[in-house]
Amino acid sequence: MGFFLAIVTALFFPGVILRVKSVASGRKGPGVMQPWYNIWVLLQKGSVISSTTSYVFRIAPAIYLSTILIVLLLVPFPGSPALFGFNGDFVLFAYLLALGKFFFIIGALDTGSSFEGMGANREALYSMLAEPAFFILFGTLALFTGHTSMAQIFGAFHFQGYNLFILGFIAVYLLVQIAMIENSRMPVDDAKTHLELTMVHEVMILDHSGFDLALIQIGTALKFAVYGGLISNFLLPEAYPFAVRVALYFLVQLFFAMLIGFLESFRARKKLAKNPQFIFTLSSIALIAFILVLLLAHKMIG
Amino acid sequence: MNSLPILLPVALSFLILVMPSRIRYCYSLALTVFIMLVTGIPAAWELFHPSGPVLVYHPGNGLGFIAITIDSLSAFFILVTNLTVFTGMLYSNGYLRPYRHTKSPAQLALHNFSFVWLYISMLGVLMLRDGFAFLIAWELMAVSSFMLILFEAEKRATLKIAVTYLIQMHVGLVLLVIAFLLCEAETGAMDFDALQGYFSNHPNRLLFFIFFAGFAIKAGFIPLHTWLPDAHPAAPSHVSAVMSGVMIKMGIYGIVRVLTYVQSDFFTIGMTILILSSLTGLLGVMMAIVQHDLKKLLAYHSIENIGIIGIGIGIGTLGIGLNNNFLIILGFTGGLLHILNHALFKPLLFFTAGSGFQAYHTRNLEHLGGVIRKMPQTAGLFLLGALSISGLPPFNGFVSEFLIYAGLVHGLSAGNVYQSIAFILVLVSLALIGGLAIFCFAKAFGVVFLGTNRNAPKHEISEAAAGMLIPQYLIAFLILLIGLAPMVFIAPVAGVIAAHFHAPSAPVVPDLIPVFKQTGIVGLLLFLITGFILFLRHRLLRNRPKKYAPTWGCGYVDTSPVQQYTGTSFAANFGELAQPVLRQKEDFKPIADSEIFPEKRSYAIHPVDIFRQGINKSIDFCMMGLKKIARLQTGDIQHYVLYAFVFILIIFALLYLKII
Amino acid sequence: MNVILIIVFAISLIYLSITERFPVYAGLIGLQGMLLFALSFIELTTITLATLLFVALETLVFKVVVVPYFLFRIIHKTGVARVHDKAVPGFYSLIIVTAGLLLSIVVAFSMQTAPTAILNFIVALFAVYTGLFLIISHRKIFSHLVGFLVIENAVLLLSMAIGSQMPMLINIGILLDIFVSVLILGIFVMRLKGHASELTQLKDD
Repeated sequence: MGFFLAIVTALFFPGVILRVKSVASGRKGPGVMQPWYNIWVLLQKGSVISSTTSYVFRIAPAIYLSTILIVLLLVPFPGSPALFGFNGDFVLFAYLLALGKFFFIIGALDTGSSFEGMGANREALYSMLAEPAFFILFGTLALFTGHTSMAQIFGAFHFQGYNLFILGFIAVYLLVQIAMIENSRMPVDDAKTHLELTMVHEVMILDHSGFDLALIQIGTALKFAVYGGLISNFLLPEAYPFAVRVALYFLVQLFFAMLIGFLESFRARKKLAKNPQFIFTLSSIALIAFILVLLLAHKMIG
Repeated sequence: MNSLPILLPVALSFLILVMPSRIRYCYSLALTVFIMLVTGIPAAWELFHPSGPVLVYHPGNGLGFIAITIDSLSAFFILVTNLTVFTGMLYSNGYLRPYRHTKSPAQLALHNFSFVWLYISMLGVLMLRDGFAFLIAWELMAVSSFMLILFEAEKRATLKIAVTYLIQMHVGLVLLVIAFLLCEAETGAMDFDALQGYFSNHPNRLLFFIFFAGFAIKAGFIPLHTWLPDAHPAAPSHVSAVMSGVMIKMGIYGIVRVLTYVQSDFFTIGMTILILSSLTGLLGVMMAIVQHDLKKLLAYHSIENIGIIGIGIGIGTLGIGLNNNFLIILGFTGGLLHILNHALFKPLLFFTAGSGFQAYHTRNLEHLGGVIRKMPQTAGLFLLGALSISGLPPFNGFVSEFLIYAGLVHGLSAGNVYQSIAFILVLVSLALIGGLAIFCFAKAFGVVFLGTNRNAPKHEISEAAAGMLIPQYLIAFLILLIGLAPMVFIAPVAGVIAAHFHAPSAPVVPDLIPVFKQTGIVGLLLFLITGFILFLRHRLLRNRPKKYAPTWGCGYVDTSPVQQYTGTSFAANFGELAQPVLRQKEDFKPIADSEIFPEKRSYAIHPVDIFRQGINKSIDFCMMGLKKIARLQTGDIQHYVLYAFVFILIIFALLYLKII
Repeated sequence: MNVILIIVFAISLIYLSITERFPVYAGLIGLQGMLLFALSFIELTTITLATLLFVALETLVFKVVVVPYFLFRIIHKTGVARVHDKAVPGFYSLIIVTAGLLLSIVVAFSMQTAPTAILNFIVALFAVYTGLFLIISHRKIFSHLVGFLVIENAVLLLSMAIGSQMPMLINIGILLDIFVSVLILGIFVMRLKGHASELTQLKDD
C-alpha cells in the first residue's frame, strides 16, 4: 500500500518543489507535472555515450533506480506493515541506499572527467558523514520503543507527554536534513548552479543522457518520496481510519515538498569547506536525542 | 584413530623440494587437496553434528603424547583455511608463471614448500592443544610466511620488511610463551585446558591481556599492526591472500579460544576489546583511504575488518558478562561469520589486484586507470569484492555486519548507562566504517579500473589466464551464496558458539530465520528488477540513434588522461578532515623568493602511518642512547682489562661499605 | 515541559560551538536567556512568590534584554561580524564538543546524582565545558566574553535544579549575572569606545 502511495507522491513531488521555488522568486513557474513530461521526453530519446566509459556506466543508473524501488518496499505506511518489514530493516534501508550511491559514484568516475570525479568525491564524503546521524536516530528509536523493525517502531511511537514532542521534532528535523543532504540540495549544494566546480549531484550526471538520465531523475523523485514517507510515519497517528490517513499522508508529503521549496529559495549555499561540519552537526543533535531517551529508559525523567 | 593420514602428507611435503619442476606444481596441488580432505571431512562432520564427541587422532608409536583434536571451533577455522589455501594454490600457478624465467628452480621449489608448510602449520595451530606443540606450530607459521614474503628478496626493501615482520612475530611469540608459562607456574600443565583451572582461581584480566597482546600482534590490532601494511604488498599476491585471509585470523582464533575459558572480569575484557576494535576499524579504513599502493590499501582494509570482527567478539564477551543470550550469539556469530566472509572477499581482491599487477607491472594507483577496458572480467570480480567488503547488500559482507548491528541495537538496552553510551559510540563507528569503506573502494575501483590510463603502458595487456580466473569465480559464487542464503551458514556457526560458550542458541536463531529470508528475497528482487530495467533499456535503445563521443570537457579541447581525478585528489578532502591521524609527507622543495630562475622541481606525496612513525622515533631514541654506550666498545683489549679492574675496585668499595 | 527547554538549550550550545558570526552568538545567548526565563517558572515552584518574581524578572531583564543589547551594540560599534581566527577548525571543535557531551553524561552518572536533577546537571556540565572550550579555542575577546556568559548560564541552570531547596544559590547566581552585565559590558562599551579597533586585535599575535 505504501509503495503505491509513494509512487503517486513522487509524481508530483519535484513539480511542487519547482513551483514553490518559482513562486517564491516572483515567477509563475512551470506546471506541477512538468518534470515528468521531461522524463517522458527523455525516455523517447536515443543515447550519446562517452567513449571513455565501460559497462559500469551503462548499468549504474539501472542499479540506482532498482535500489530505490526496493527501498520503497521497505518503508511502512502508518498503520500497516511494510511489504518486507523485519527486525533491523532500517540497516538494510540505509545500506541499500548506500549501494545505489556507490554505483552512482563509480558511474561518474567511469567517464574519466575531472568534473565528475570532483562531484563523486564530494558525494561520497557527504553521504558518509550523514550515515551516523541516521543510525543514531534509529538506534534511539529502537531503544525507546523496544522494537527494531521500522513498522513496529513507528507503530509504538505515540505522542504522549512533552518528551515525545521534542523527540519527534528532532527526528523529523534530522530526517528533513538527511533528505536534503542525500539529494544534494541546499545548503549543501545548489541544484540550480551549473558551475562544474561547485556541484555535487548535478555534475555526476553530466554525461548521462536519454534513458539513463530519465532513470536517474525518476530515482531522485522517488528518493524524496521515500524520505517523505518516513517523516509521515512520525506524524500520522494510527488511530484514524484508513481514508483519513491516506489524505493526511498526501498532506504531509505536500508540506514536505513545499518546505523543501522554501528552504531552497531562502537559504544560501554554504561554503563547500564548511559542509562536513554542518553534516556532522546532525550526528551531535542525534546524540542529544539519544541521551534524552537513555535517561527516559533508565527512568530518570518523565 | 590412526595418525597416518596426518603424518603422511607432512612427510611427503619434503619431496616437493626434490620434484622436477614440471610436475612440482601438480604434486603440491595434489598434496594440498589430500590434506584438505583429511582435515576437512572430520571438520565438516564435527561442525554439522556438534553434539558428537571431539575427534582425536591418537599418535602412533614412538611419537609421544601430542594429541591432535578437532572440536567445533577448530572445525570452522579449518574449513575456512582449507578453502582459502585451495584457491590460493590454484591462483599461484598462473601468477608464478612469469617468474619461471627469472627465478631459479630451487627458489621456486622453496617457495612451494614454504606455502605447503604455512598451510600445515596453520592447521597445526588449529588442531594442537598442548601449549608447547601450539607454540611450535605458531613459530613454524611465522617462519614459513617469512620465507614466502622473501620471494623477491633481491630487493633491499623486501628484505628489510621481511626481517621486521619476523622480529615482530617473535615479540608476539615471547608474549605467548610468557602467558603459557604463567599458566604452567600456577597449574602445572601447559595446555589450553589448564587455563580452565587457572581462570577459576586467579584474576582473569592479567593473563587474558597477555594472551590478547600476543595474539593481537598476529591479528593486526592497532597499534600492533605495523608489520601488516608492509608485509602484504611485499609478498606475492597468492601469499598476501592467504596471509590476509587466514593467517591473521589465527590470532582471532587464539583470542576466542582463551575466551572460552575465561570466567570473570567480562565487563573489563569486553569493553577493552570493543573499544580497541572500533579504533582499529576506524583507523584502519582511514589510513586505507590515503594510500596510493593498491595492495597496501587492501592490507589496511584487512586491519579494518579485524576491527569489525573484534567488535563482534567484544559484544559477545559483554553478553557473557550480562548472561544475555542474544548478545552472545549475535556478537560472536557476527564476528565468526565475518571471518568466513573476509576469507572470501579479501583473497578475491588480492587475486584481482595481482592479475592487474601482473599485466601492468605497477601497483601505483596514479599510474593505472582504464584497466576495465583490457581486463573486464578482473574488473567485474574486483567490483564484486569491493561491494562485499563495503558490506553492501545483497552480498556476504552485509550479512555479518547486519548480525553485529543487531547485537549492538540489542545491547543498547541491555546493560548499564556506560555500556549504552559505549554501544552507541560503537554503532556510530560501525556506520562510519561502512561509509568510509564505500569511499575508499569507490576511489580504488574508480581510479584503477575506470577512466583512461594515466601512464600508457608500452607492452601488450591481456586478460588474466583462465587458471587464475577459476578460483576467483569460485569465490564469487560462494559470496553470492552466502549473501542470498545466509541461514545455511549461520546455523552451524551459531551452534559452535552455543556449544563453546554455554549459551543456548535456540531462542536466538529462529528469530533470525525470517530476517534473512527477507534479506534473501530482497537480494533476489534486486537482481530481478535490475535485470528487468536493463532488458527494457536494451530493447528501447536498440532501434534508436546511438552516438559515441568523448566525455564532456566543458568546452576544453584536447583533454588528456592526466587531467582525470587522481586517487590522491579523491582522498584529499577526507585527508584534510582527518589531518591529526592521517599525516602525509610531501617531497617538495618550495621555490624560495631568491630563486629568480627556478630549477625543475618534482612533487610527491606519501602517506605516513603515525604508529610506524612513533615506533621508528622511539627506536631512534633508544639507538641514540645505545650509541652513546657503544663508545665503551673500543676494540682495544687493554681498555677491557681496565674495565675489569674498575669493576673489581667497585666490588671492593661496596664490600667495604657493607652494601653487598 | 522543562525537558523540552533544556534540550533546546543543549542544541543551542552545539550551534554556539560551530557558528562563526558574532550576531549569531549574541542571538543564541539571548535565546538561552529566554529559555532560562521560561524554566524559572516551571522549576522553581516551592519558593515564595516574591523570590520567584524577582528571579524571573532579573533573568528577563538582564539575560534577555540587557546582555544581548550590549552585545549587539559592541558588534555595531566595532564593525566586526565574523570570527577571523580560530585555533581549532570547525570540524574538530564539533567533535570535541560532542565528546564533552558524552563526558558530562559519564560524570553525571558516576556521581549518582538525584534523578530529578540529572538532566539539568548533564546539560549544565556540558554548557560549562562548551563555554571553557569557546574561551580556549578562540582568539578574539568577544568570543571569550560569550564563553563566560555561557558558563554563567550553566551556573544558573544548575542552580534551578536544586533551587527549590536552596534559594540562596539562585541569588548568588543572579549576583553573578549583575556583575557580568554591569561591570564587564559597561566597561567595554563605555570605556573602550575610543579603542574600538583594539577589540578586534586584542590577543591577536
